Amino acid sequence: MGGGTPLHYLDAIRRDYPVSLHGVGLSLGSAEGIDAAHLARVREIAARIEPGLVSEHLSWSVAGGIYFADLLPLPMTEEAMEIVCRHVDQVQNVLDRQILIENPSTYLQFQHSTIPEWEFMAAVAARTGCGILCDVNNVYVSACNHGWDALQYLAGLPVNAVGEIHLAGHSAKEVNGRTLRIDDHGSSVSEAVWSLYAEALKLFGPVPTLIEWDTNIPAFDVLLDEATRAERALECVKGLHHADAA
Amino acid sequence: MPTLLELQRSMSKFVLSRQNDEAAQFIFADGIAASERLSIYRNTFLASLTSALRISFPAVHRLVGAEFFDGAAQCFIEAEPPQSANLYRYGAGFAHFLARFPPAASLAYLADVARLEWAVNCALHAPDVPPLASECFAAVAQADPTHLVLVPHPSLTLLRAEYPSDAIWRAVLAEDDGALSTIDLMEGPCWLLVERNAEGVTASRLKESEWRFISSLYAGEAFAAAADREENIDVALVFAGHLAAGRFIEFHIMPNE
Repeated sequence: MGGGTPLHYLDAIRRDYPVSLHGVGLSLGSAEGIDAAHLARVREIAARIEPGLVSEHLSWSVAGGIYFADLLPLPMTEEAMEIVCRHVDQVQNVLDRQILIENPSTYLQFQHSTIPEWEFMAAVAARTGCGILCDVNNVYVSACNHGWDALQYLAGLPVNAVGEIHLAGHSAKEVNGRTLRIDDHGSSVSEAVWSLYAEALKLFGPVPTLIEWDTNIPAFDVLLDEATRAERALECVKGLHHADAA
Repeated sequence: MPTLLELQRSMSKFVLSRQNDEAAQFIFADGIAASERLSIYRNTFLASLTSALRISFPAVHRLVGAEFFDGAAQCFIEAEPPQSANLYRYGAGFAHFLARFPPAASLAYLADVARLEWAVNCALHAPDVPPLASECFAAVAQADPTHLVLVPHPSLTLLRAEYPSDAIWRAVLAEDDGALSTIDLMEGPCWLLVERNAEGVTASRLKESEWRFISSLYAGEAFAAAADREENIDVALVFAGHLAAGRFIEFHIMPNE
């Protein structure tokens, strides 16, 4: 683990706020196995900051010992599911806690895929006891790109396993007269994704929500407005839950 | 139907070099060519790592401009892709790559600036280790110098630069054209020490003999062996300065052979 100001600020933030630890480097879907040294670093930082939630992606980033710094798509096959489950077990054993796995944005599908992505996510959660981080923007992006029904996707996830939600912006690219939506973490959450978020909250209840911005970070007011909007949506379903209870 | 390992190997060849089309046969084209779909991943791969390099080499980026930097970064990424998900450690070979990169040949000082920026990057992220406590200084002073070996702070790098890379680096990052215009590229080599201390990361110049002596200590040579080669400096005084500045974290007395 490194030190210096990044770690200093992380410690300072952790003193005042709960944090969730979100990984992009474990490569849960790598056929060649996961990097024990990287997992050891994740364990070290998790032990230091004691995050409320730990999450990783349903994807792969490493092949032939090269780290691709991207979330590459997996074929939705039994073989891939066994490999992902083995790695989720390994990570949960090493960290001695539950992790959440996040659905990625995808831009292609494999001819030999046999399992819908939402069923794949649900099966990994059932087999390993891991939770699900439902990225509503990614559901929307992948559903648009592949002609899936986003509501069917959400309804296919096991309600009790969903422990966190992500929202983010995406861009649209015209290719051969077709629109391909691409996750970008550098723009505002789209209206369509806000609507889908409301549907997700109806299904899953008031789940902790993170709005992702990695690039083109706007003025603080813009971030605050988005956070307020998500907060209101969460309050709405909290209200519903109270009404149900009464 | 490919195994997952076969699929990942063929996709990684495309993402890395765009040279291989065998992954395309496994993908649904669905109105958009498989290679177009795969290219989205290749673009993200290049963009993420170029951005990581830009963060670690901001002065190189400003010196050559965005277009040149992106082109050089792409060649470097393809030649030396990361072997770890620890991206703040990515770019160790970038300075060496730039030194041999023909389009950068006219900027003789560029590799020196890149070497300095890498040392700064290493210092920024080095582990937090307390320096040797002052209570230990007496024991160090009394140790037999022929057996005394010191362990440097992990944030430290010693660099010999052919060009005044420290002055260029400071002026470029401060966007100080006045300072840049006064730099004499032909002033000769400089000997630098890069470290993280209470003020942040600093690059300071040492005299050649001092740099050589301290380099020997950092390399793990016994104190006496390092000191005996230097006649022009007061090694005890120089050493005391480095010790007090917190540049050593441990000392050992090596046993007799």
